[in-house]
Amino acid sequence: MAMVHITINGRELTVDAGLTVLQAAQQAGIDIPTLCHHPALPDIGACRMCLVEVAKQRALQPACTFPVSEGMDVQTESPKVVAARKFVLELLFSERNHYCMFCQMSGDCELQSLAYRYGLDHWTYERPHEPLPVDGSRRYFMLDHNRCILCRRCVRACEEISANHTLGERLRGAKTMVSADLDVPFGQSSCVSCGTCLQVCPTGALIERYSAYRGRDANHELQHTPSVCAACPVGCGIDVAHRANHVVRISGDWEAEPNHGLLCVAGRFEPFDEVRERVTRPMVRRNGALVETDWEAALTAAAEGLKKARSKAAIATGRATNEAFHALATVFETAGIWERPVPKLEYGEAGTLADIHSADAIVVAGAAPGARQRVVAYRIRKALDHGARLFVIGNDEYLEPHASLVVADGEAERAVEVAAGAASPVVLYGADLGPGARQALRRLAGKARFVRLVEGANAMGAAAEGVGAWNGMAEVDALYVLAGDDPQEPPALPKAGFTVVQTAFKSALVQQADVVLPSPTWAERQGHLTNLEGRVRPFDAVLSAPEGVPAEWQPLVSLAERLGKK
Amino acid sequence: MGKVLVATDWLAACAGCHMSLLDIDERIVGLLEHIQLTSTPITDLKHPPKEGVTVGILTGAVNNTTHIEVAKQMRERCKVLIALGDCAVFGGIVTMRNQFSMQDALRRAYIESESTVDGKIPSSPELCRPLRARAVDQVVKVDVYLPGCPPSADTIYYVLSELLAGRVPELKGEHLRYD
Repeated sequence: MAMVHITINGRELTVDAGLTVLQAAQQAGIDIPTLCHHPALPDIGACRMCLVEVAKQRALQPACTFPVSEGMDVQTESPKVVAARKFVLELLFSERNHYCMFCQMSGDCELQSLAYRYGLDHWTYERPHEPLPVDGSRRYFMLDHNRCILCRRCVRACEEISANHTLGERLRGAKTMVSADLDVPFGQSSCVSCGTCLQVCPTGALIERYSAYRGRDANHELQHTPSVCAACPVGCGIDVAHRANHVVRISGDWEAEPNHGLLCVAGRFEPFDEVRERVTRPMVRRNGALVETDWEAALTAAAEGLKKARSKAAIATGRATNEAFHALATVFETAGIWERPVPKLEYGEAGTLADIHSADAIVVAGAAPGARQRVVAYRIRKALDHGARLFVIGNDEYLEPHASLVVADGEAERAVEVAAGAASPVVLYGADLGPGARQALRRLAGKARFVRLVEGANAMGAAAEGVGAWNGMAEVDALYVLAGDDPQEPPALPKAGFTVVQTAFKSALVQQADVVLPSPTWAERQGHLTNLEGRVRPFDAVLSAPEGVPAEWQPLVSLAERLGKK
Repeated sequence: MGKVLVATDWLAACAGCHMSLLDIDERIVGLLEHIQLTSTPITDLKHPPKEGVTVGILTGAVNNTTHIEVAKQMRERCKVLIALGDCAVFGGIVTMRNQFSMQDALRRAYIESESTVDGKIPSSPELCRPLRARAVDQVVKVDVYLPGCPPSADTIYYVLSELLAGRVPELKGEHLRYD
């Protein structure tokens, strides 16, 4: 690539042509303050915080959008620049409501920290105090227009990251407002609650209801632990903010594969809906009633019940860790996860989720990523924005309006016919793959990449340990149910004379059990999860489990010993 | 050299800023060797002396006609005027009222508030008139801005110490806070 010679603050640099002044400065470790700029979003130069003085330019230029050129001489903190930035800050503070004392973002706010940096101790301009609405129509978060600085980060995130295109802006100048769809309340809009807009908002305009006022990063009130989302098999990287052994907020990990910061409602918000009572002590059934006991007594009772049984089997949540599936497979020859099986095509080269981005045709067959693997659906929409075409065989309510063609399985041929004309098609198939699609898609083998959208967050990890989908057996002597912290109750269980349930929460399932063994929640466990691409991801515990609740695999390892299995 | 005369008063304030001033704790004893508090809203003498003071401190926003008189009197009688706290500096939480019409605000406060029985909006001609809430510098010239809700005792001590040393205090780092 061509290089150019530039000078920033007297430092001579040789940088790639095509970089912006901001990128060149960042590469050289020169700090230029930004506000509307976000590393995951395209720059638009809206806020004017990054103004710099460029020799021979008539006016100050925004570093985030101004490209470098040969011989350019840039000053990033000259008196003229500093005066302009203070002026910009005063204008931002003078509009709307930027009183920090009752804002939950105070301390973590990017606008505030810039004002501190430039010593803004008062505002020159009179404030209009125009009352603007607070949109509280969303279940998990609110939009307070009074705190908005119109940086459009949320609008760009909705467009460029989640590709959902809900947010936009209406009117012009000082009257500009961020609005959802054609100016409807956020809660009635096409918003999918992915929460990406919250994650990029630099001020307190987009506020998460749960985490608000529960702690700030300022003063190190919050701790952060990276983890892996267990809501679905996409296996998004998450950043878990926690305080005093409670999860406060879940954010997408910008650095993580395959999501790069993007999450969905199931990963970001739904974990906070959990209200079931915890199981923290083992229980055994005595005289018809479950009574709390110690681990020794519970494991002995479980081992005895399993020893006596002529036939025994285990059924597990697909959320369990690789370690737990390994232990489960050691103890039980017959074991399965309770989510639906997804057939594996005998043809075609396996692809990854990254292939969606470069695809020019996407076939979704017998799958509903819009409901089950939502981040995949958002990635598909992003690809459509870049010109790819979508063909749906079956049903996906979320994706169908954006598809070029939606057909039933019997007409799969029609969709494949068109997709076959593409240069690099990607096929995503799932549990409802029908015979028609199965037959028709064979034509794309050799050209397309095939991505299997399994069900069960760690179905791939389970399969690697020989634990496939539950075989539908109707009756066994003894049954071990590894329910973990799955928010879903298992489907109809086989009849069993003796049942052991390993669970984090009290539920109807517990009422059927002869032995109940406590299990950690997603935030308390550690181990590995394997996502639908086969990516094996280690993660550490975010929180400490309640006293006496062991690792997810521990009860199974203890049972293996008692049953004489290694 | 005699002691430096300092007068304080509050406008539409919650008294938190004056509390923070008292939170200087035992250091106030040392300060009082160099300054004399001529008047405060929590002492018998409320008004700055006619002869004038060196430093005047106002906390709270201006939100009625009396506040304008108090602010103007303080300005006339002091050499250096400090706006202390977010309300005095920016208008602060008091300006939330500006989002409503004055009639709505008065009705909410005097008639509709949960603890009120048979309320009525005061209308005596002896009373001041409520105004749109605003920062002190929208009424009189301010020399030193000291934001914070409230500013920490350390920051107030720093500002007074700097003034005593003959310097114009510059707020930055830990001393510049809006919450």
